[in-house]
Amino acid sequence: MVVAEVIQFSFNVLFRASIYVLVAIGLSIIFGSLQYVNMAHGALYLFGAYLGYVIAGTNQYSDGILAGMGQFGLDAGFVAALVVVPIVVFLAGVVMEHFLAKPFYDRPLLDQLLVTFGILLVFQEVVGEIFGKSSLLYPRPDWLLGAFELPGIGVPPGFESVSTVRVIAVLLTLVLIGVIVAFYRYTNYGLAVRAGTEDTEMTRLLGIRVDRPFLLIFAIGAAYAGIGGLLGGFQFGFSYQSGVEIIIPALVIVIMGGVGSLRGTILASLLAGLSVAVVGVFVPSMSTASIYVLAIIVLAFRPNGLFESEAIAQ
Amino acid sequence: MNREDLRRRIGVDGRLLSVETWDQIKHTERFIGGAAVVFVLTFSWTISSAPVISDFVQGYHRLALSMMAWMLLGLSFNFLLGQTGLLSFGHAMFWGGSGYAAALFALHVSGSPLLILVVGVLFSVVLAFLSALVLLRLHGVYFAIVTLAIAQTLYRLVREPLEPITKGINGLRPSFDPLLGVFALGEYRGPLEFLGSGMYVFLGIFFVATIVLITRVRKSPYGLIFKAVQENETRARFVGLDVWRYKYAAFMLSAFIGGLAGTLFFMVTGPGLMSGSVVPERMLWTNSGNLVVMVVLGGLGTLAGPLVGVFLFQWMGSVLNGLGWVIPGLSILGPIGQYWQMLVALAFTAVVWTYPEGVWGMITDATAALREPQTIPEKLKRKTPGLRSDAEQGDDR
Repeated sequence: MVVAEVIQFSFNVLFRASIYVLVAIGLSIIFGSLQYVNMAHGALYLFGAYLGYVIAGTNQYSDGILAGMGQFGLDAGFVAALVVVPIVVFLAGVVMEHFLAKPFYDRPLLDQLLVTFGILLVFQEVVGEIFGKSSLLYPRPDWLLGAFELPGIGVPPGFESVSTVRVIAVLLTLVLIGVIVAFYRYTNYGLAVRAGTEDTEMTRLLGIRVDRPFLLIFAIGAAYAGIGGLLGGFQFGFSYQSGVEIIIPALVIVIMGGVGSLRGTILASLLAGLSVAVVGVFVPSMSTASIYVLAIIVLAFRPNGLFESEAIAQ
Repeated sequence: MNREDLRRRIGVDGRLLSVETWDQIKHTERFIGGAAVVFVLTFSWTISSAPVISDFVQGYHRLALSMMAWMLLGLSFNFLLGQTGLLSFGHAMFWGGSGYAAALFALHVSGSPLLILVVGVLFSVVLAFLSALVLLRLHGVYFAIVTLAIAQTLYRLVREPLEPITKGINGLRPSFDPLLGVFALGEYRGPLEFLGSGMYVFLGIFFVATIVLITRVRKSPYGLIFKAVQENETRARFVGLDVWRYKYAAFMLSAFIGGLAGTLFFMVTGPGLMSGSVVPERMLWTNSGNLVVMVVLGGLGTLAGPLVGVFLFQWMGSVLNGLGWVIPGLSILGPIGQYWQMLVALAFTAVVWTYPEGVWGMITDATAALREPQTIPEKLKRKTPGLRSDAEQGDDR
């Protein structure tokens, strides 16, 4: 059954890579086009995970403010969460852009890093106080965890031990990557963002309003992070510290790929997923740290990342 | 000694008792060194047994010890960011790395405090030497994230693959010998009781030495070049300075102080005063993150800022947090105490957002305002000293 093992392993890699891409892509675009480094992106991941948890099931919390107050949640299932989470997190992204990002576009990069880091810490503590600080696991329907099945055909050969949620996540990520690339290449908004990235002031002088395209990009990145939180939280579990735990590898991936480069971010996510899976087989404790080692090696030879500062999606 | 002599000695002109004289004196190396000595002599006593203050602070001797080690780490971080503009999110690698080197040395080779200290510092410097080969090619956020990555890798290594050596999550707890074979580092009794313990004096000596060293570097022409590099790297290069070399020097000096801090912290956290302890968590990134919060909260780029920040943070974490005490009128601190992390995070965000000079900046501005009220609006307009964006560096990124 070598084929089945190869397929299972590939989906391990691809699923990890999908989560990384979903979180890193927003970071990378915002960093690349707006020169804004957003540690609070991790808060969006956290938001997605907890919101999805509340939507997907009803749960009793063992600690935090909600403890002892009975069951909370909508019990609407995973699919409902998959629809609602990106929409709500998109709106959260709009709010975040307006109140957190805009005042800081002209401030030094390190100010941005520090203040968004602070926001992330505040958000994490608030979530920890409300939902409790223990780690949580989604209510798990069988059809999501069971083997992937196609209607009419049944389980495709080799897919016996690949759970449905992984296949869905990988396919969804591919679609979402396609959406963002299309947005850049073929829409006027994408054109405005590319122009605004090159020279914001000149673009403004030409009479193009770059504010709204920038807002849109920010919010799309946020929605992606929310979906990442939902999928990642479902598979790996999550706690109030998950936002920080994902933002560190995500930032490492962004700079490993080269800031602002979509190709670089995707490639770096794949490499990261691969190294986590491979190292996980031999030295499980080093699996996440292997991303850092990889990044250090890459940056030692290419200090600007794999695909350095090219204009986005060319 | 007449007044003229005194003036010459402390290097000031004008009348002795005036604001201008004070402004001159307070920046002299001698004054800062002297203030550091006074601080060390009184700090532990003030927070643990002074009449009124200690009732409010509720400190204890061990808290003073660990605070002082944290202050050294704060100085190390502040030197790197405040002088050279390199933001390290991975100072935990010096903090924990030197602790482990020191612990292993104490366990297997010798228990002499001085030798332990040398080994810890040496390890930290070697670590910086190696990581700088990669790190110093990077700028701004790249630098910050990769320092974090290196520290996290070390944390993971220490935690599991190296478990046979490091004992994994249980950590190491070696004990050590008296200093130079004579002076026990245990508790003091009698007339020297206000100092607390031999360990405190040992730590205090290195604390004063570090303050003096940093002041000397800051005031020297050599240290001014760090400032130049921070202001504008490209320009510094055009003037003919070898920027890379100065960044390397700053990083190594920061690692040196960081190693000193880490080893001393290892020495003061053991079960007894004559033993140390180190656990993998000391390398976890949260230490680096907390350090950033402490220093920026206290006031970046100044000498006193990191000390104030460390004090506030550690006090909130250890005293306000585990508040089992009630002072008349202050009982409200009890319920607030358990949300201390949120409060610190809020304060940190507010400081970066609106008042980048931190708590120490607020204090100095307040005293300046008492003298000249009209200077305040100007101060408020000023941005963070020396933090600049990568965009300004243009092509060299």
